[in-house]
Amino acid sequence: MESSEKKNLGTAILEFIRNNIVPIMFIVICFFCIPLSGFSPSYLINEIVTRMGRNIFLILCLLIPIMAGMGLNFAMTLGAMAGEIALIFVSDLQIWGIPGVILAMIFSIPFSILLGLLCGSILNRAKGREMITSYIISFFLNGLYQLVVLFMMGSIIPIRHFSIKLPRGYGIRNTVSLLNMRQCLDNLLAVYIRGVKIPVLTFLIIGLLCLFIIWFRKTKLGQDMRAVGQDMQVARDAGINVEHTRLISIVISTVMAGFGMIIYLQNMGNLSTYSSHSQIGMFCIAALLVGGASVDKASIGNVFLGVILFHTMFIVAPSAGAAITGDSMIGEYFRVFCSYGVITIALVMYESKKRRSRSRSAQELARAAARETESAGKAAVK
Amino acid sequence: MRNESKDQNLNSPSKPQDVRKTVPAPQQAAELEKAQMGPVRALAASFGLPRLIITAFLLLMFIAAPIVGNDFWTQISNVINRFSWNAILVLAMVPMIHSGCGLNFGLPLGIISGLLGATLSIEFGFTGAASFFMAILIATPISVVLGCGYGWLLNRIKGGEMMIATYVGFSSVSFMCMMWLLLPYHSPTMVWGFAGKGLRTTISLEGFYSEALARLLRIQIGNLSIPTGTLLFFALMAFLMWAFLHTKTGTAMTAVGSNPTFARAAGVNVDRMRLLSVVLSTWLGALGILVYEQGFGFIQLYNAPFYMALPAVSAILIGGASVNKASIVNVLIGTFLFQGMVTMTPTVMNSIIHTDMSEVIRIIVSQGMILYALTRKSEGGSH
Amino acid sequence: MSARRIIVRIGFVLLLVVLAAVMLVIGRGHTVYFDNKTLEYEGQTYSAPYRVVVYIKGQPIAKLKARERGMKTTIGQSFGMALGITQEKDGEEQIIECFQKLPYNMDGVIINLPGYLAGLPEEAYISEFVAAPPAEDEDEAPGEDEEMLIDAEL
Repeated sequence: MESSEKKNLGTAILEFIRNNIVPIMFIVICFFCIPLSGFSPSYLINEIVTRMGRNIFLILCLLIPIMAGMGLNFAMTLGAMAGEIALIFVSDLQIWGIPGVILAMIFSIPFSILLGLLCGSILNRAKGREMITSYIISFFLNGLYQLVVLFMMGSIIPIRHFSIKLPRGYGIRNTVSLLNMRQCLDNLLAVYIRGVKIPVLTFLIIGLLCLFIIWFRKTKLGQDMRAVGQDMQVARDAGINVEHTRLISIVISTVMAGFGMIIYLQNMGNLSTYSSHSQIGMFCIAALLVGGASVDKASIGNVFLGVILFHTMFIVAPSAGAAITGDSMIGEYFRVFCSYGVITIALVMYESKKRRSRSRSAQELARAAARETESAGKAAVK
Repeated sequence: MRNESKDQNLNSPSKPQDVRKTVPAPQQAAELEKAQMGPVRALAASFGLPRLIITAFLLLMFIAAPIVGNDFWTQISNVINRFSWNAILVLAMVPMIHSGCGLNFGLPLGIISGLLGATLSIEFGFTGAASFFMAILIATPISVVLGCGYGWLLNRIKGGEMMIATYVGFSSVSFMCMMWLLLPYHSPTMVWGFAGKGLRTTISLEGFYSEALARLLRIQIGNLSIPTGTLLFFALMAFLMWAFLHTKTGTAMTAVGSNPTFARAAGVNVDRMRLLSVVLSTWLGALGILVYEQGFGFIQLYNAPFYMALPAVSAILIGGASVNKASIVNVLIGTFLFQGMVTMTPTVMNSIIHTDMSEVIRIIVSQGMILYALTRKSEGGSH
Repeated sequence: MSARRIIVRIGFVLLLVVLAAVMLVIGRGHTVYFDNKTLEYEGQTYSAPYRVVVYIKGQPIAKLKARERGMKTTIGQSFGMALGITQEKDGEEQIIECFQKLPYNMDGVIINLPGYLAGLPEEAYISEFVAAPPAEDEDEAPGEDEEMLIDAEL
């Protein structure tokens, strides 16, 4: 009795480790790297809190497409582009501070909806390979974004402010200064605890979004999305408009990504016009996966855990790398390797799990069929 | 869903005779459709509208080049040169598409093997053309080993190959970024001068295999110069690939790609065929980057291989391949069109409107092409 | 879609539009420059006092001797300040509360303090500050390859 219980416990632990291999790996990495990096705890906590405020909103926008069974939305960069375009217009109008942030969010909505609709309808035509398609969409739209921002703004789309326009008369500069709205959300209502700045307002906004997601899951639309995510065919038979539901999930995600990008950039204080968005999708996805999410299942808890673990690694890796090898570049490459590696592992685990369950159900089917023929045979004999 | 969705009933008792009946159906339907269309529309359908547009664009560029004052023959030479550098990288796409593994976004893995071969060959002190052949020789076992691992992985995750391939490529490139710094290379031509260790980001091949193939039998008429050696080398590889696809193993591989259930029923070991195709793809990737380097004259390390898969992927798609169908002709046409576009647009555009829009055009066209291929219902897939 | 939902949606869009309009008005940022400089206007000369201290919300922003310039960024068009004026060296500081409406379409607004204190019409003491465009000519957009350069800031 006892030994079997022990065995059960052992397999349970093994199962737990197997299911949470990525977070556990990251906890181990952080555990080793933090002492090596030599950062003071208050510096580390300060950095992590800042990065939580700036990234969580962006990462939360990945949850809804996962719910709808569309996998990791690599096309969240589209929302980021919409946010950037909105910020360019707001800078051109010279609207500063919190009104500027609110205005940028409002401006970003139409762009986000448009891009979200485009992306969603393309993804509806590529069912079963949403992730690779959304990944390519992000590249494709990056080309269009450059076409618009670098060649059309100032020539076709009126941009009058010299501080953001290239000297040649059209196109936007490589960096647009957002100094006038830098950390305006974070500083309002900020609380300092032992030298750690806590951007309360930003966290409040994040909290609201979390509540929205929890509420959304319970609505009719949210239930539909989960049904579509479970099984498209069953959902369709149940009378759910599958394409429409999927489209909506991408649009919501894109709009939220636009807001998230604006929050992110107001914290950074400047916009790298042509590169701010390019890496953001990859890092958000990596952070989400580090938190223990998988391609078909992610929760708000995954987001928070993921941000803390991933960004701790991100902060300490360069100096830890320098301490070990004497070259800080090693650490920088290491953290990039970790981000890619995590995504790879999560994708492989997801696909192999899917395959396992598929073959299991096939085997069950076969067994059932065999049983049926057997019983039929018996009946015939009788 | 891609054609592996058929794999769903992987271990279930399948009914091969049923499958056999349905296989030719889509082709028949396509023939029928073609017969009903007018000749122009049939041409457009068989050639593909995007390809027609790109061809027209390229033709326009060729016509515009001399008008706006660019030398026609220099432009032609440039296009042929670029073609010769890139063709084998595009050829590397063929085996994996044939075996149904989809577009090889994991090409950087092959490129990494090639780069290891190149750097090791220089490290061991080979120079001149010998260093090129040594690089191939060293890269071969590396690419076979890496390709086996990669193929084994892809066999475990049938249906999700392309996404995972992308990230296998990225992970390997970022892993090698660390390795280029850490591996004990000493050759003074390759390591950073002041530190004495860690490879440089770009390594000149002057004195090694720069133009090792291109110099062979080079034809030079006025401004026109043709790197005959490289072209011949590519022709050899393309011929070998064509011949391979017509051997028993090759046809088995194609069968695996077009209908895995049927292939299994016919006694083909699906996983082995897929593994073989991945190894071939990886090896051709290694070879391709070496040929690219001999033309370009530099080895590029660190972040350079990150996005090398995308141009190759879009080239073969522009050539008329789809996610699960590709031929040598697709490689030829695609590489020519893509490289032609990449080479011609900057110069011609610059002469016409004095701004360089080519980068943007390249991104839109190449990524748009990949998107187009991904959203098309793949033939032989789920109907 | 029911009529009620359409009305709710239109209402929502209108709300956003109104909110955007409000933000456009209240969020316009300006840089205000204070010039303590002698002003010539219609033949009259308004000479600069010995020292002017500009207070905003009780904080001294700039202490300006004659021919000096101070600056302050502000959001919105209503700009309240207090001026502490010392006419002669070692003289008494005299504080004047004042309020200035800024023109919406000026990024940089120069207020000539002697002119302002003398109660001249607005066009006399307000002028636009035009900054020289930053000399920076990087008109190349990064291509795909450069995107991979790992940005340390995240």
